[in-house]
Amino acid sequence: MTLLKATGLSAGYGPVTVLQRIDLEVQQGEFVVMLGANGAGKTTAMRAISGLIARSGTVVFEGVDIHRASADAIVRAGIAQVPQGRGTFPELSVEDNLLAGAYIRHGSDDVLSDMERWYGVFPRLAERRLQRAGSLSGGEQQMLAIARALMSRPKLLLCDEPSLGLAPLITQELFAVLERLNRDDGLSVLLVEQNANLAMHIANRVYLLETGVIVASGSAEELGADDAIRKAYLGF
Amino acid sequence: MELFSQRLVDGLSQGSVYSLIALGLVIIYRGTGHLNFAQGEMALFSAYCVYQFGEWGIPIWPALGLGMIVGFVLGAVAEVTLVRPISKKSPFAVFIVTLGLFTFLNWLDGAIFGNQQLPNSGVGSKQQRYPSLFPNDPEDVWQPFGVAIRIERVGIFVLVLVITGLLFLLFNKTRFGLAMRAVASNTESAKLAGIRTNTVLMVSWGLAAAIGAVGGVVMAGLNSNVNLGLMFTVFIYGSAAATLGGFDSPGGAVLGGLIIGVIENMASGYAQEWIGQDMKLSVAFVVILTVLLVKPSGLFGTGKVERV
Repeated sequence: MTLLKATGLSAGYGPVTVLQRIDLEVQQGEFVVMLGANGAGKTTAMRAISGLIARSGTVVFEGVDIHRASADAIVRAGIAQVPQGRGTFPELSVEDNLLAGAYIRHGSDDVLSDMERWYGVFPRLAERRLQRAGSLSGGEQQMLAIARALMSRPKLLLCDEPSLGLAPLITQELFAVLERLNRDDGLSVLLVEQNANLAMHIANRVYLLETGVIVASGSAEELGADDAIRKAYLGF
Repeated sequence: MELFSQRLVDGLSQGSVYSLIALGLVIIYRGTGHLNFAQGEMALFSAYCVYQFGEWGIPIWPALGLGMIVGFVLGAVAEVTLVRPISKKSPFAVFIVTLGLFTFLNWLDGAIFGNQQLPNSGVGSKQQRYPSLFPNDPEDVWQPFGVAIRIERVGIFVLVLVITGLLFLLFNKTRFGLAMRAVASNTESAKLAGIRTNTVLMVSWGLAAAIGAVGGVVMAGLNSNVNLGLMFTVFIYGSAAATLGGFDSPGGAVLGGLIIGVIENMASGYAQEWIGQDMKLSVAFVVILTVLLVKPSGLFGTGKVERV
Protein backbone atom coordinates (compact mmCIF):
# COMPACT_ATOMS: atom_id res chain seq x y z
CA MET A 1 0.00 0.00 0.00
CA THR A 2 1.29 3.42 -0.87
CA LEU A 3 1.71 5.53 2.25
CA LEU A 4 3.18 8.69 0.77
CA LYS A 5 3.13 9.74 -2.85
CA ALA A 6 4.54 13.04 -4.03
CA THR A 7 3.97 14.03 -7.65
CA GLY A 8 5.61 16.97 -9.40
CA LEU A 9 6.80 18.31 -6.07
CA SER A 10 8.60 21.65 -6.40
CA ALA A 11 9.84 23.90 -3.64
CA GLY A 12 12.45 26.51 -2.93
CA TYR A 13 13.27 29.64 -1.05
CA GLY A 14 11.94 32.95 -2.28
CA PRO A 15 12.66 33.27 -5.99
CA VAL A 16 14.99 30.26 -6.02
CA THR A 17 13.45 26.92 -6.93
CA VAL A 18 15.58 24.14 -5.49
CA LEU A 19 13.41 21.11 -5.96
CA GLN A 20 12.16 20.65 -9.51
CA ARG A 21 9.07 18.53 -9.95
CA ILE A 22 10.22 15.36 -8.28
CA ASP A 23 8.08 12.24 -7.95
CA LEU A 24 8.61 9.98 -4.99
CA GLU A 25 6.72 7.46 -2.96
CA VAL A 26 7.03 5.45 0.21
CA GLN A 27 5.17 2.18 0.63
CA GLN A 28 3.73 1.08 3.93
CA GLY A 29 6.55 -0.41 6.03
CA GLU A 30 9.25 0.60 3.60
CA PHE A 31 12.67 2.05 4.40
CA VAL A 32 13.45 4.55 1.65
CA VAL A 33 16.72 6.43 1.38
CA MET A 34 17.31 9.54 -0.64
CA LEU A 35 20.93 10.07 -1.53
CA GLY A 36 22.48 13.19 -2.87
CA ALA A 37 25.43 15.51 -2.57
CA ASN A 38 25.46 18.79 -0.68
CA GLY A 39 22.99 21.20 -2.22
CA ALA A 40 21.12 18.54 -4.19
CA GLY A 41 17.86 19.54 -2.52
CA LYS A 42 17.45 16.71 0.00
CA THR A 43 16.62 18.94 2.94
CA THR A 44 14.31 21.01 0.75
CA ALA A 45 12.46 17.83 -0.19
CA MET A 46 12.01 16.92 3.46
CA ARG A 47 10.84 20.39 4.42
CA ALA A 48 8.45 20.43 1.48
CA ILE A 49 6.87 17.15 2.58
CA SER A 50 6.57 18.16 6.23
CA GLY A 51 5.06 21.52 5.30
CA LEU A 52 7.76 23.81 6.66
CA ILE A 53 8.14 25.58 3.31
CA ALA A 54 5.77 26.51 0.50
CA ARG A 55 5.53 23.91 -2.22
CA SER A 56 3.65 23.04 -5.36
CA GLY A 57 2.64 19.70 -6.82
CA THR A 58 0.69 17.11 -4.88
CA VAL A 59 1.63 15.21 -1.77
CA VAL A 60 -0.80 12.43 -0.93
CA PHE A 61 -0.51 10.77 2.45
CA GLU A 62 -2.82 7.84 3.18
CA GLY A 63 -5.01 8.93 0.29
CA VAL A 64 -5.35 12.54 1.45
CA ASP A 65 -3.72 15.45 -0.35
CA ILE A 66 -1.67 17.32 2.26
CA HIS A 67 0.27 19.71 0.06
CA ARG A 68 -1.69 22.68 1.38
CA ALA A 69 -1.74 21.52 5.00
CA SER A 70 0.27 23.38 7.65
CA ALA A 71 3.24 21.75 9.33
CA ASP A 72 1.39 21.07 12.57
CA ALA A 73 -1.55 19.50 10.71
CA ILE A 74 0.85 17.22 8.84
CA VAL A 75 2.27 16.01 12.15
CA ARG A 76 -1.25 15.21 13.31
CA ALA A 77 -1.80 13.32 10.05
CA GLY A 78 1.08 11.03 11.05
CA ILE A 79 4.32 12.35 9.54
CA ALA A 80 7.09 13.24 11.97
CA GLN A 81 10.30 14.89 10.87
CA VAL A 82 13.70 14.83 12.51
CA PRO A 83 15.10 18.01 11.01
CA GLN A 84 18.68 18.51 10.01
CA GLY A 85 20.83 19.84 12.81
CA ARG A 86 19.03 18.06 15.67
CA GLY A 87 15.89 20.12 16.11
CA THR A 88 15.51 19.72 19.84
CA PHE A 89 14.32 22.34 22.33
CA PRO A 90 17.68 23.36 23.85
CA GLU A 91 16.25 25.22 26.86
CA LEU A 92 13.88 22.40 27.80
CA SER A 93 14.78 19.29 29.76
CA VAL A 94 15.10 15.97 27.98
CA GLU A 95 11.81 14.92 29.55
CA ASP A 96 9.99 18.08 28.44
CA ASN A 97 11.38 17.58 24.94
CA LEU A 98 9.75 14.16 24.83
CA LEU A 99 6.49 15.47 26.30
CA ALA A 100 6.45 18.21 23.67
CA GLY A 101 6.97 15.49 21.07
CA ALA A 102 3.77 13.85 22.33
CA TYR A 103 1.92 17.16 22.20
CA ILE A 104 -0.65 15.92 19.67
CA ARG A 105 -1.47 12.90 21.81
CA HIS A 106 -2.74 14.76 24.85
CA GLY A 107 -4.87 12.88 27.27
CA SER A 108 -3.39 9.60 26.15
CA ASP A 109 -2.33 7.35 29.03
CA ASP A 110 0.45 5.61 27.19
CA VAL A 111 2.56 8.73 26.67
CA LEU A 112 4.55 7.88 29.79
CA SER A 113 5.01 4.25 28.80
CA ASP A 114 6.18 5.40 25.36
CA MET A 115 8.66 7.67 27.08
CA GLU A 116 10.00 4.75 29.10
CA ARG A 117 10.26 2.74 25.91
CA TRP A 118 12.49 5.31 24.19
CA TYR A 119 14.52 5.70 27.38
CA GLY A 120 15.06 1.96 27.08
CA VAL A 121 16.19 2.31 23.47
CA PHE A 122 18.41 5.31 24.30
CA PRO A 123 19.61 4.71 27.88
CA ARG A 124 21.80 7.79 27.78
CA LEU A 125 18.70 9.95 27.50
CA ALA A 126 17.29 8.28 30.60
CA GLU A 127 20.41 9.23 32.54
CA ARG A 128 20.00 12.83 31.46
CA ARG A 129 16.24 13.15 31.64
CA LEU A 130 16.29 16.29 33.79
CA GLN A 131 19.21 17.90 31.99
CA ARG A 132 18.65 20.66 29.48
CA ALA A 133 18.73 19.36 25.92
CA GLY A 134 21.21 22.07 24.89
CA SER A 135 23.80 20.60 27.25
CA LEU A 136 23.75 17.16 25.61
CA SER A 137 26.43 16.00 23.21
CA GLY A 138 25.71 16.00 19.49
CA GLY A 139 24.95 12.29 19.44
CA GLU A 140 22.66 12.50 22.44
CA GLN A 141 20.82 15.43 20.88
CA GLN A 142 20.28 13.42 17.71
CA MET A 143 18.92 10.53 19.77
CA LEU A 144 16.65 12.97 21.55
CA ALA A 145 15.46 14.43 18.25
CA ILE A 146 14.57 10.96 16.98
CA ALA A 147 12.88 9.99 20.25
CA ARG A 148 10.97 13.28 20.23
CA ALA A 149 9.69 12.56 16.72
CA LEU A 150 8.71 9.01 17.71
CA MET A 151 6.72 10.32 20.68
CA SER A 152 4.08 11.53 18.22
CA ARG A 153 3.59 7.88 17.13
CA PRO A 154 4.14 8.67 13.45
CA LYS A 155 3.23 6.39 10.59
CA LEU A 156 6.06 7.87 8.57
CA LEU A 157 9.35 9.12 9.98
CA LEU A 158 11.35 11.63 7.96
CA CYS A 159 15.01 11.73 8.95
CA ASP A 160 17.17 14.50 7.59
CA GLU A 161 20.83 13.49 7.62
CA PRO A 162 21.04 12.11 11.12
CA SER A 163 24.72 11.28 10.64
CA LEU A 164 25.70 14.93 10.23
CA GLY A 165 28.54 15.79 12.57
CA LEU A 166 28.43 12.52 14.48
CA ALA A 167 31.15 9.99 15.18
CA PRO A 168 30.86 6.93 12.89
CA LEU A 169 30.14 4.63 15.83
CA ILE A 170 27.22 6.75 17.00
CA THR A 171 25.88 6.98 13.47
CA GLN A 172 25.92 3.19 13.24
CA GLU A 173 24.09 2.95 16.55
CA LEU A 174 21.40 5.34 15.35
CA PHE A 175 20.97 3.55 12.04
CA ALA A 176 20.66 0.24 13.87
CA VAL A 177 17.83 1.70 15.95
CA LEU A 178 16.05 2.99 12.84
CA GLU A 179 16.46 -0.36 11.14
CA ARG A 180 15.00 -2.17 14.16
CA LEU A 181 12.04 0.19 14.32
CA ASN A 182 11.37 -0.40 10.64
CA ARG A 183 11.71 -4.17 10.87
CA ASP A 184 10.01 -4.83 14.22
CA ASP A 185 7.41 -2.06 14.42
CA GLY A 186 6.74 -1.66 10.73
CA LEU A 187 7.56 2.04 10.94
CA SER A 188 7.93 3.54 7.47
CA VAL A 189 11.05 5.64 7.11
CA LEU A 190 12.21 8.17 4.55
CA LEU A 191 15.83 9.01 5.28
CA VAL A 192 18.04 11.53 3.57
CA GLU A 193 21.77 10.93 3.59
CA GLN A 194 25.13 11.76 2.14
CA ASN A 195 26.60 8.77 3.89
CA ALA A 196 25.66 6.31 1.16
CA ASN A 197 27.45 3.21 2.40
CA LEU A 198 25.61 2.94 5.64
CA ALA A 199 22.26 4.01 4.26
CA MET A 200 22.32 1.61 1.30
CA HIS A 201 22.58 -1.35 3.66
CA ILE A 202 19.25 -0.77 5.31
CA ALA A 203 17.33 0.74 2.41
CA ASN A 204 14.56 -1.12 0.60
CA ARG A 205 14.62 1.47 -2.08
CA VAL A 206 16.88 4.38 -2.99
CA TYR A 207 16.35 7.68 -4.77
CA LEU A 208 19.26 9.59 -6.15
CA LEU A 209 18.83 13.35 -6.15
CA GLU A 210 21.02 15.70 -8.17
CA THR A 211 20.47 19.47 -8.35
CA GLY A 212 16.81 19.17 -7.49
CA VAL A 213 15.99 16.32 -9.87
CA ILE A 214 15.73 12.60 -9.23
CA VAL A 215 18.24 11.02 -11.57
CA ALA A 216 17.93 7.39 -10.55
CA SER A 217 15.81 5.18 -8.34
CA GLY A 218 15.52 1.51 -7.58
CA SER A 219 16.38 -1.11 -5.01
CA ALA A 220 19.65 -0.79 -3.16
CA GLU A 221 21.01 -3.77 -5.10
CA GLU A 222 20.09 -2.29 -8.47
CA LEU A 223 21.72 1.03 -7.77
CA GLY A 224 24.73 -0.62 -6.12
CA ALA A 225 25.23 -2.66 -9.27
CA ASP A 226 25.37 0.42 -11.47
CA ASP A 227 29.02 1.27 -11.98
CA ALA A 228 28.60 4.98 -12.51
CA ILE A 229 26.42 5.39 -9.43
CA ARG A 230 28.71 3.26 -7.33
CA LYS A 231 31.72 5.35 -8.25
CA ALA A 232 29.96 8.64 -7.72
CA TYR A 233 28.19 7.91 -4.45
CA LEU A 234 29.71 4.86 -2.85
CA GLY A 235 33.32 5.53 -3.67
CA PHE A 236 34.37 2.01 -4.57
CA MET B 1 13.46 52.03 61.19
CA GLU B 2 9.85 52.91 60.60
CA LEU B 3 10.81 55.12 57.69
CA PHE B 4 12.94 52.32 56.27
CA SER B 5 10.10 49.80 56.53
CA GLN B 6 7.68 52.15 54.89
CA ARG B 7 10.08 52.87 52.07
CA LEU B 8 10.62 49.15 51.67
CA VAL B 9 6.89 48.45 51.47
CA ASP B 10 6.31 51.41 49.18
CA GLY B 11 9.17 50.19 47.01
CA LEU B 12 7.78 46.66 46.86
CA SER B 13 4.29 47.79 45.85
CA GLN B 14 5.65 50.27 43.33
CA GLY B 15 8.00 47.56 42.09
CA SER B 16 5.03 45.21 41.75
CA VAL B 17 3.76 47.39 38.92
CA TYR B 18 7.14 47.20 37.21
CA SER B 19 7.09 43.43 37.69
CA LEU B 20 3.75 43.16 35.91
CA ILE B 21 4.96 45.21 32.95
CA ALA B 22 8.24 43.26 32.89
CA LEU B 23 6.32 39.96 32.96
CA GLY B 24 4.42 41.01 29.85
CA LEU B 25 7.64 42.01 28.12
CA VAL B 26 9.26 38.69 29.00
CA ILE B 27 6.30 36.59 27.82
CA ILE B 28 6.37 38.29 24.43
CA TYR B 29 10.15 38.25 24.19
CA ARG B 30 10.28 34.53 24.94
CA GLY B 31 7.67 33.78 22.32
CA THR B 32 8.85 35.90 19.43
CA GLY B 33 12.09 37.59 20.43
CA HIS B 34 10.45 41.00 20.12
CA LEU B 35 10.58 43.86 22.57
CA ASN B 36 7.04 45.21 22.75
CA PHE B 37 7.33 48.97 23.14
CA ALA B 38 3.56 49.24 23.39
CA GLN B 39 3.37 47.11 26.54
CA GLY B 40 2.84 50.12 28.80
CA GLU B 41 0.31 51.76 26.49
CA MET B 42 -1.70 48.56 26.15
CA ALA B 43 -1.87 48.53 29.94
CA LEU B 44 -2.94 52.17 29.91
CA PHE B 45 -5.78 51.47 27.50
CA SER B 46 -7.06 48.75 29.82
CA ALA B 47 -6.68 51.08 32.81
CA TYR B 48 -8.85 53.68 31.06
CA CYS B 49 -11.44 51.02 30.25
CA VAL B 50 -11.53 49.89 33.88
CA TYR B 51 -12.13 53.49 34.92
CA GLN B 52 -14.99 53.68 32.45
CA PHE B 53 -16.47 50.43 33.79
CA GLY B 54 -16.35 52.06 37.23
CA GLU B 55 -18.29 55.03 35.89
CA TRP B 56 -20.93 52.57 34.74
CA GLY B 57 -21.15 51.29 38.28
CA ILE B 58 -19.20 48.07 37.92
CA PRO B 59 -17.21 47.25 41.10
CA ILE B 60 -13.44 47.29 40.77
CA TRP B 61 -12.67 43.55 40.81
CA PRO B 62 -15.16 42.57 38.08
CA ALA B 63 -14.04 45.69 36.22
CA LEU B 64 -10.45 44.48 36.47
CA GLY B 65 -11.53 41.13 35.02
CA LEU B 66 -13.20 42.91 32.10
CA GLY B 67 -10.14 45.11 31.69
CA MET B 68 -7.95 42.03 31.46
CA ILE B 69 -10.23 40.63 28.77
CA VAL B 70 -9.99 43.94 26.88
CA GLY B 71 -6.19 43.72 27.24
CA PHE B 72 -6.12 40.12 26.07
CA VAL B 73 -8.13 40.92 22.94
CA LEU B 74 -6.01 44.00 22.25
CA GLY B 75 -2.77 42.02 22.53
CA ALA B 76 -4.04 39.10 20.48
CA VAL B 77 -5.40 41.35 17.73
CA ALA B 78 -2.15 43.33 17.61
CA GLU B 79 -0.18 40.12 17.18
CA VAL B 80 -2.40 38.72 14.43
CA THR B 81 -2.96 41.89 12.43
CA LEU B 82 0.31 43.79 12.88
CA VAL B 83 3.18 41.82 14.33
CA ARG B 84 2.76 38.53 12.49
CA PRO B 85 2.48 39.86 8.93
CA ILE B 86 5.30 42.35 9.50
CA SER B 87 7.70 39.93 11.17
CA LYS B 88 7.49 37.65 8.14
CA LYS B 89 8.86 40.48 6.05
CA SER B 90 11.43 41.86 8.46
CA PRO B 91 11.91 41.08 12.15
CA PHE B 92 13.46 44.49 12.69
CA ALA B 93 10.35 46.22 11.38
CA VAL B 94 8.37 44.79 14.32
CA PHE B 95 10.35 47.12 16.53
CA ILE B 96 8.99 50.07 14.56
CA VAL B 97 5.49 48.59 14.53
CA THR B 98 5.37 48.34 18.33
CA LEU B 99 6.63 51.92 18.54
CA GLY B 100 3.85 52.92 16.18
CA LEU B 101 1.35 51.03 18.30
CA PHE B 102 2.68 52.93 21.31
CA THR B 103 1.87 56.32 19.80
CA PHE B 104 -1.38 55.10 18.25
CA LEU B 105 -2.75 53.76 21.54
CA ASN B 106 -1.78 56.93 23.36
CA TRP B 107 -3.59 58.98 20.73
CA LEU B 108 -6.58 56.63 20.92
CA ASP B 109 -6.80 57.02 24.71
CA GLY B 110 -6.78 60.77 24.30
CA ALA B 111 -9.41 60.65 21.57
CA ILE B 112 -11.76 58.45 23.58
CA PHE B 113 -11.19 59.55 27.14
CA GLY B 114 -9.86 63.09 26.74
CA ASN B 115 -6.55 64.70 27.62
CA GLN B 116 -7.44 65.50 31.21
CA GLN B 117 -6.62 63.15 34.01
CA LEU B 118 -9.51 61.01 35.23
CA PRO B 119 -11.39 61.29 37.51
CA ASN B 120 -11.68 64.93 36.72
CA SER B 121 -14.06 66.85 38.94
CA GLY B 122 -14.59 69.30 36.09
CA VAL B 123 -16.38 66.73 33.94
CA GLY B 124 -18.44 65.37 36.80
CA SER B 125 -16.93 61.95 37.31
CA LYS B 126 -18.98 59.73 39.57
CA GLN B 127 -15.81 58.34 41.12
CA GLN B 128 -13.85 60.53 43.52
CA ARG B 129 -10.61 58.87 42.63
CA TYR B 130 -9.36 55.99 40.49
CA PRO B 131 -10.70 52.84 42.14
CA SER B 132 -8.22 50.91 44.23
CA LEU B 133 -8.20 47.13 44.35
CA PHE B 134 -7.61 47.19 48.09
CA PRO B 135 -8.84 49.37 50.97
CA ASN B 136 -6.85 52.58 50.80
CA ASP B 137 -8.47 55.07 53.14
CA PRO B 138 -6.07 56.74 55.56
CA GLU B 139 -7.25 54.47 58.38
CA ASP B 140 -6.68 51.26 56.38
CA VAL B 141 -3.37 50.58 58.03
CA TRP B 142 -1.88 47.39 59.31
CA GLN B 143 0.53 47.62 62.26
CA PRO B 144 2.44 44.38 62.63
CA PHE B 145 5.48 45.55 64.69
CA GLY B 146 4.49 49.05 65.50
CA VAL B 147 5.26 49.96 61.92
CA ALA B 148 2.31 51.41 60.05
CA ILE B 149 1.89 49.70 56.69
CA ARG B 150 -0.92 50.55 54.33
CA ILE B 151 -3.07 47.56 53.50
CA GLU B 152 -3.27 48.62 49.85
CA ARG B 153 0.52 48.26 49.53
CA VAL B 154 0.59 44.79 51.03
CA GLY B 155 -2.38 43.74 48.90
CA ILE B 156 -0.67 44.79 45.68
CA PHE B 157 2.47 42.89 46.61
CA VAL B 158 0.49 39.74 47.40
CA LEU B 159 -1.50 40.10 44.18
CA VAL B 160 1.71 40.11 42.14
CA LEU B 161 2.98 37.05 43.99
CA VAL B 162 -0.29 35.24 43.23
CA ILE B 163 -0.12 36.18 39.54
CA THR B 164 3.50 35.02 39.40
CA GLY B 165 2.56 31.72 41.02
CA LEU B 166 -0.30 31.16 38.57
CA LEU B 167 2.01 31.92 35.65
CA PHE B 168 4.56 29.48 37.02
CA LEU B 169 1.89 26.78 37.11
CA LEU B 170 0.75 27.71 33.60
CA PHE B 171 4.27 27.50 32.18
CA ASN B 172 5.41 24.38 33.98
CA LYS B 173 2.35 22.28 34.71
CA THR B 174 0.06 22.68 31.72
CA ARG B 175 0.12 21.42 28.18
CA PHE B 176 -0.28 24.92 26.83
CA GLY B 177 2.63 26.09 28.97
CA LEU B 178 4.79 23.35 27.52
CA ALA B 179 3.79 24.53 24.05
CA MET B 180 4.73 28.11 24.99
CA ARG B 181 8.13 27.00 26.25
CA ALA B 182 8.66 24.86 23.15
CA VAL B 183 7.84 27.77 20.83
CA ALA B 184 10.17 30.02 22.82
CA SER B 185 12.96 27.48 22.53
CA ASN B 186 12.66 26.47 18.87
CA THR B 187 9.68 27.57 16.78
CA GLU B 188 10.38 25.26 13.88
CA SER B 189 10.72 22.19 16.05
CA ALA B 190 7.53 23.23 17.83
CA LYS B 191 5.74 23.12 14.47
CA LEU B 192 7.25 19.72 13.83
CA ALA B 193 5.84 18.53 17.15
CA GLY B 194 2.37 19.48 15.92
CA ILE B 195 2.07 22.64 18.02
CA ARG B 196 -0.04 25.38 16.46
CA THR B 197 2.64 28.02 16.88
CA ASN B 198 0.45 30.84 15.54
CA THR B 199 -2.13 30.20 18.24
CA VAL B 200 0.57 30.08 20.89
CA LEU B 201 1.98 33.44 19.80
CA MET B 202 -1.46 35.04 19.64
CA VAL B 203 -2.30 33.85 23.14
CA SER B 204 1.14 34.92 24.42
CA TRP B 205 0.52 38.49 23.29
CA GLY B 206 -2.96 38.38 24.75
CA LEU B 207 -1.68 37.05 28.04
CA ALA B 208 1.08 39.66 28.19
CA ALA B 209 -1.42 42.45 27.64
CA ALA B 210 -3.86 41.00 30.19
CA ILE B 211 -1.13 40.92 32.84
CA GLY B 212 -0.13 44.41 31.79
CA ALA B 213 -3.74 45.48 32.35
CA VAL B 214 -3.41 44.53 36.01
CA GLY B 215 -0.24 46.63 36.14
CA GLY B 216 -2.03 49.60 34.59
CA VAL B 217 -4.96 49.40 37.01
CA VAL B 218 -2.68 49.02 40.04
CA MET B 219 -0.55 51.96 38.88
CA ALA B 220 -3.59 54.18 38.32
CA GLY B 221 -4.89 53.13 41.74
CA LEU B 222 -1.62 54.09 43.43
CA ASN B 223 -1.68 57.33 41.51
CA SER B 224 -5.38 57.97 42.34
CA ASN B 225 -6.00 58.92 38.71
CA VAL B 226 -5.28 57.84 35.18
CA ASN B 227 -3.68 60.14 32.63
CA LEU B 228 -2.00 59.85 29.26
CA GLY B 229 1.53 59.95 30.67
CA LEU B 230 0.89 57.43 33.44
CA MET B 231 2.76 54.51 31.91
CA PHE B 232 5.74 56.24 30.28
CA THR B 233 8.08 55.96 33.22
CA VAL B 234 6.50 52.70 34.35
CA PHE B 235 7.41 51.17 31.00
CA ILE B 236 11.01 52.34 31.35
CA TYR B 237 11.24 50.89 34.84
CA GLY B 238 9.56 47.71 33.60
CA SER B 239 12.18 47.39 30.84
CA ALA B 240 14.90 47.91 33.41
CA ALA B 241 13.30 45.19 35.54
CA ALA B 242 13.22 42.74 32.64
CA THR B 243 16.84 43.57 31.81
CA LEU B 244 17.87 43.06 35.42
CA GLY B 245 16.00 39.78 35.84
CA GLY B 246 16.84 38.41 32.42
CA PHE B 247 14.64 38.91 29.40
CA ASP B 248 13.74 35.24 29.15
CA SER B 249 13.00 34.63 32.82
CA PRO B 250 9.50 35.36 34.19
CA GLY B 251 10.66 34.85 37.79
CA GLY B 252 13.61 37.13 37.13
CA ALA B 253 11.30 39.80 35.75
CA VAL B 254 9.22 39.81 38.92
CA LEU B 255 12.24 39.95 41.19
CA GLY B 256 13.84 42.57 38.95
CA GLY B 257 10.73 44.74 39.24
CA LEU B 258 10.67 44.48 43.02
CA ILE B 259 14.39 45.27 43.30
CA ILE B 260 14.06 48.30 41.06
CA GLY B 261 11.01 49.52 42.96
CA VAL B 262 12.91 49.30 46.23
CA ILE B 263 16.08 50.90 44.83
CA GLU B 264 14.01 53.71 43.35
CA ASN B 265 12.26 54.45 46.64
CA MET B 266 15.40 54.13 48.76
CA ALA B 267 17.45 56.28 46.40
CA SER B 268 14.94 59.07 46.19
CA GLY B 269 14.21 58.82 49.92
CA TYR B 270 17.71 58.65 51.36
CA ALA B 271 19.57 60.65 48.75
CA GLN B 272 16.92 63.29 48.42
CA GLU B 273 19.31 66.17 47.83
CA TRP B 274 20.95 64.85 44.73
CA ILE B 275 18.49 62.28 43.38
CA GLY B 276 15.10 63.40 44.66
CA GLN B 277 12.08 63.15 42.43
CA ASP B 278 13.62 64.63 39.29
CA MET B 279 16.52 62.23 39.01
CA LYS B 280 14.56 59.12 39.98
CA LEU B 281 14.30 57.88 36.43
CA SER B 282 18.06 57.86 36.01
CA VAL B 283 18.15 55.11 38.63
CA ALA B 284 16.54 52.83 36.05
CA PHE B 285 19.15 53.71 33.46
CA VAL B 286 21.99 53.14 35.88
CA VAL B 287 20.56 49.69 36.63
CA ILE B 288 20.18 48.85 32.92
CA LEU B 289 23.73 49.99 32.14
CA THR B 290 25.25 48.14 35.08
CA VAL B 291 23.46 44.91 34.22
CA LEU B 292 24.41 45.11 30.56
CA LEU B 293 28.06 45.64 31.51
CA VAL B 294 28.34 43.06 34.29
CA LYS B 295 25.89 40.31 33.37
CA PRO B 296 24.22 40.95 30.01
CA SER B 297 21.83 38.01 30.32
CA GLY B 298 20.45 39.37 33.60
CA LEU B 299 20.27 37.75 37.02
CA PHE B 300 18.25 34.72 35.92
CA GLY B 301 18.42 34.87 32.16
CA THR B 302 19.99 32.00 30.32
CA GLY B 303 22.94 32.94 28.21
CA LYS B 304 22.81 30.92 25.06
CA VAL B 305 24.89 27.87 25.92
CA GLU B 306 24.58 25.09 23.43
CA ARG B 307 26.74 22.19 22.45
CA VAL B 308 26.67 21.13 18.86
